[in-house]
Amino acid sequence: MILFNAINIHNLKEYFKIALKNLTTRKVRSWLTTIGITIGVFLIVSLLSLSQGLKGAVLQQLNMMGKDLIMIMPGDITNIATMMGGQKITDGDMKIIKQTKGVAELTSIDYTSITIRYDDVKKTVLVYGADLRNGLDILKNDVGWSIDEGRWPSPNKNEILLGSAVPKDVFLGIKLGSNIMIKGRKFVVVGILNSVGSKQDDTMVGIDLNIFKSVTGERTGSKQMMVKVEAGANVDDVAERIKTNLNENRKRQIGQDENDSSYTVLTSEKTASIVGNVMGMIQAVIIGFASIAIVVGGIGIMNTMYTSVRERTKEIGIMKAIGAKNRTITTIFLIESGIFGMLGGIGGTLLGLIFAKGIEIYFQIHPMFYFKADVGPVLIIFSLAFSFFVGCVSGYFPARTAAKLKPVDALRYE
Amino acid sequence: MAEPVIKLENVWKKYELGEEELSILKGVNLEIMPGSFATIMGPSGSGKSTLMYLLGLLDTPSLGKIFLNGQDVSDFSEDELAQIRGKKIGFIFQQFNLLQNLTALENVMLPMIFQGILEPQRIERAKMLLDTVNLEHRINHKPKEMSGGEQQRIAIARSLVNNPEILIADEPTGNLDSTNGKIVMEILAKLHREQKKTIIVVTHDPTIAHYSQNIIHIQDGKIVSNHFQDTDILWKENGKNLPDVPPGEIKI
Repeated sequence: MILFNAINIHNLKEYFKIALKNLTTRKVRSWLTTIGITIGVFLIVSLLSLSQGLKGAVLQQLNMMGKDLIMIMPGDITNIATMMGGQKITDGDMKIIKQTKGVAELTSIDYTSITIRYDDVKKTVLVYGADLRNGLDILKNDVGWSIDEGRWPSPNKNEILLGSAVPKDVFLGIKLGSNIMIKGRKFVVVGILNSVGSKQDDTMVGIDLNIFKSVTGERTGSKQMMVKVEAGANVDDVAERIKTNLNENRKRQIGQDENDSSYTVLTSEKTASIVGNVMGMIQAVIIGFASIAIVVGGIGIMNTMYTSVRERTKEIGIMKAIGAKNRTITTIFLIESGIFGMLGGIGGTLLGLIFAKGIEIYFQIHPMFYFKADVGPVLIIFSLAFSFFVGCVSGYFPARTAAKLKPVDALRYE
Repeated sequence: MAEPVIKLENVWKKYELGEEELSILKGVNLEIMPGSFATIMGPSGSGKSTLMYLLGLLDTPSLGKIFLNGQDVSDFSEDELAQIRGKKIGFIFQQFNLLQNLTALENVMLPMIFQGILEPQRIERAKMLLDTVNLEHRINHKPKEMSGGEQQRIAIARSLVNNPEILIADEPTGNLDSTNGKIVMEILAKLHREQKKTIIVVTHDPTIAHYSQNIIHIQDGKIVSNHFQDTDILWKENGKNLPDVPPGEIKI
């Protein structure tokens, strides 16, 4: 039995050599066939590693947010219409949140895009209004803001805080003590933040919430609330209570159905799981489409193999005449199609890696956000195995056709 | 009398052509004795190629039985027949039928690969055989780079690697000039004389018959004559009419 196996393995090596010779004799066709698989595998490897990297980048940002922080936004996150409605959290809502059991502190954050002027440069920038009197703790400890240079603005003063990327990317050369004009008011730069990890957050400017309200004229409500829960309280329970209270209140006021949720209450964990779900769906779609590409590549292999069987009919006859069994012929043809799949897999993986790493390097040079292409060994092994599998499956029917040829018919074929 | 190495018993070969049935062989009975040199002759369309494929176990009869060394092989599976062909029968074809992608050495080794013989033995035996047909200097050449005579000698070396009892040659000189044709026939004659191989040659070339003790004529799917002759006398009578073999061309 052992000897039998040894002979088989040994023969496999010889059949592999024969298959390789057949492929190299028809170089152009072999390359074209391989490219079909390469494209599919390239799509899988590059897109999956990019989406995985994207997920990592988002989760990393979420991690900077404290775990016992709850964010409240008007509108339902699953209903784009309510999110776009420009609704606000009212002062009444705020009172309800404050009274909810388990809430320790809360602060509102408002933001809007305003055209501001530094020297003679005018640019539209996202301006945050933060409650610097009551909410500084939350901003520092839970949102992850920290001062790189200077100090926090004082409440009710025309002082402004810059995101870390503003001096570089928005107003070149702006520094502590520089003056900025917002809607005709003069602000003094008093502090620059450390990077918080995303281009959007790093290019904003921040002012005191009261000043923000008087600048924008939006005196009531805010776009976002942040709640810090009491020590020992369960974040998810508090979040749930806030949501219930807000919805009940709204129902009392305007008779709206309770199920028609008008608030989004998020904890950082919940957000992470939403991100995970969304990216999971995106990845499933990517795998779906790329798999179709690989299957199309597999059909290309099948086509090539059928052509090859027809061209080599006489050769198959000769091999059978000199003692090749049907199994031998099948094996040789399967190895050939397997090589197509494998080569396509290797090529696609390499190209995918190069592409993903290229994107990563691009983002290192132009940091929109902090992005790392995530190419795990599982992904690589999966791609290689899958493409080899597709190669073998596509080769199966042509190989069977070849093996079934009768030696006399194959020999007579011209 | 010894048992025939191959025996055909009332063998028919029929093809369906639409509604009609076409019989290529019509009840052939034939015995090939071990160590004999048989020539099968007949005009084209007589069924001699079909007979050759049946004798070589490359095809199965529609009716009748084929015995190899007394064993009925008519109902053997394709793989069993492949195994027997690989071990017991060597083929030499008019078109040489070498694999174009492989070198001379690889072509000669191929039947041994199918028998699971390990590489060192394979190389040794293939080189030895290429040496006996005086082609040791061509081992790394591909068929395209060789002349017809050289290709046929490679094919002979290939047919011998598994040391078969029977050699079947289908018009072995058909694509060769007379000098190369004679070289090939000399090799076959020598294999017959010195190694006692059973040789079956299918041909329409009457000069080849001079090498043979057993001449079988086939016509319209039937054997019309099967006679035996003493080759030594024929040699003396006709030897001088055959082209000379260049010295040192054959070592077998």
